[in-house]
Amino acid sequence: MSADIYQPYLMRVEETTDEAPGIRTLKLVFQDTVAGQNFSFRAGQFGLYSVFGEGECTFCIASSPTRKGYIECSFQQVGRVTRALRSLEVGDTVGFRGPYGNWFPLDEMKGKNVILIGMGIGLAPVRSVIWNCLDLRDDFRDVTVIVGSRSVDLLVYKRELRQWEEMPDVNLVKTVDPGGETPDWDGKVGFVPTVVEEVAPSPDNAIVVICGPPIGIKFTLLSLEKLGFSPDQVYTTLENKMKCGLGKCGRCNVGNTYVCKDGPVFTAAQLKSLPQEF
Amino acid sequence: MAEFKLNEAKLDELVNALKSEGYRVVAPVEEEGVFVFKEVVDPGEMRLDVLRTARSIKEWFFPRVEPTLRYKFDRGSVTCKGEMPQSPPKTVIIGCRPCDSASLPILDKLFDWDFRDEYWFKRREATTVVAVACDAPDSYCFCTSVGGSPDGTAGSDLLMRKTVGGCYLFESFTKKGWSIIETAKGTLEPAGQNEKVLVGEVPKRFDLNSVKPWLDNNFDHDYWKEISYKCLSCGACAFVCPTCHCFDIQDEADLQGGVRLKGWDSCCLPIFTRHGSGYNPRDTRDARYRQRVMHKFTYYVDKFGLTACVGCGRCCVSCPIDMNICTVVAGAAELAETST
Repeated sequence: MSADIYQPYLMRVEETTDEAPGIRTLKLVFQDTVAGQNFSFRAGQFGLYSVFGEGECTFCIASSPTRKGYIECSFQQVGRVTRALRSLEVGDTVGFRGPYGNWFPLDEMKGKNVILIGMGIGLAPVRSVIWNCLDLRDDFRDVTVIVGSRSVDLLVYKRELRQWEEMPDVNLVKTVDPGGETPDWDGKVGFVPTVVEEVAPSPDNAIVVICGPPIGIKFTLLSLEKLGFSPDQVYTTLENKMKCGLGKCGRCNVGNTYVCKDGPVFTAAQLKSLPQEF
Repeated sequence: MAEFKLNEAKLDELVNALKSEGYRVVAPVEEEGVFVFKEVVDPGEMRLDVLRTARSIKEWFFPRVEPTLRYKFDRGSVTCKGEMPQSPPKTVIIGCRPCDSASLPILDKLFDWDFRDEYWFKRREATTVVAVACDAPDSYCFCTSVGGSPDGTAGSDLLMRKTVGGCYLFESFTKKGWSIIETAKGTLEPAGQNEKVLVGEVPKRFDLNSVKPWLDNNFDHDYWKEISYKCLSCGACAFVCPTCHCFDIQDEADLQGGVRLKGWDSCCLPIFTRHGSGYNPRDTRDARYRQRVMHKFTYYVDKFGLTACVGCGRCCVSCPIDMNICTVVAGAAELAETST
């Protein structure tokens, strides 16, 4: 029997975590244990998550490939499928197709300083890289994590932010947009591009991973350029609408580049060479 | 070189011979005032003289809507069953035009790209394609501009060409095509040495070689705004197109269970690329129509080495406001010439 590329794995919801208003993380385990054992992915890859009766939806895998036996996704409720995903309870069934697409250059990052920047829900794919680096901490030199959000309540992975803050070998910088702070906020107040310039990481022997809203990425790239980073050192993701994830349904392309197949991870240099239609 | 021919009067016998050999025979048949490819019930309803059916043969390999998955809900748990066709019925499509046949090897590339879509290939394997050369192409035809011809053989297992004497010459190119000849042998007669074949002419409208470089360098040209000003974003062009392959995946369910469906979609529809946030990278008609042209005439060429247009003219005929991709591309070719 030939493989049917549209068939999802059946997953069981193991845990649900409310990250911020409207944002939830699901921890999913494979119902078929053999499939679970054979499953592997790389940080940055994505999948199609489905609620039966509602449809499929594309997110990155937000957990680290170093943590075996489960995957996690974090999503904001915006439409039909995410509303249904958010209403799931522990024990419910979810469909998953993946892993799809390329990944962040973890191999290339070995022996280098890594600067990992996540803005808003864009921290999800970066979180996969963060835990991947931290679980193999000796492979990397300085680990700087810069996390930004519109407001304190919208920060995702709050529990993990505290963990990273307490780790002596992680330099965590957290910031919220001006006006988004609370009286007891102990992080910075300012937009991520400004904060990146304040933190001023050195471009020497370094690689940057940055995910977030397009406008945030655009201006942070300018800040990184000012600090002397070349566009080849900076990796980000494109988050286009997808249906198949397999290079066929025809909607995620930017020019002749398919985000689902050639991406979702691109260097800033690659983005510059694409038609500006993303 | 054609060895056999069939007298027009014996087309019914051909259909019956194929049916008795277990073939499902699909051909142009009238349905509600238009011609579409349908299973032939009565041999007399097959119409090989129809130049352009309303829709292409695409739907016999890649249906408008098809299930990929059926599931049942049972007290919180879900049971699923994949719907991929394991052994589609042995089928012969008779009477498509060479342009329709040519779309098949083009789409083979996409459906085999990395992830192999067996929904497509199972049906491809089970289906024999018998094209009829065009003796009377019309002004909407532009196959010769995109590498085809009125008696082109790409994608066909067998080609029928009409002769002056009211016969069809049979020329097979594949084992599947030869099986048709074997099956129909009782109705065929040996072809003569100098049969006079009726093949129409399709003038060349543009030079494909000059189109791609222009498209590659003019993503931001005002031309896109000019030509797509009147586009309604209705998507009709994509649904009738033999090479348009973009699709959607949707669920339909009730309390007992449901089905996951894969169905045709169109890059001209505004919702096609709209993000959950409401942001849309192709939020204007010109961006969407440009995508349609670019995808066919440059992106697909970059990916697979083939132009994803066969010049059938269906999109031009079906467009409610007379957008004409042939004119659009010819216009681009003209701009390419004037700019050099």
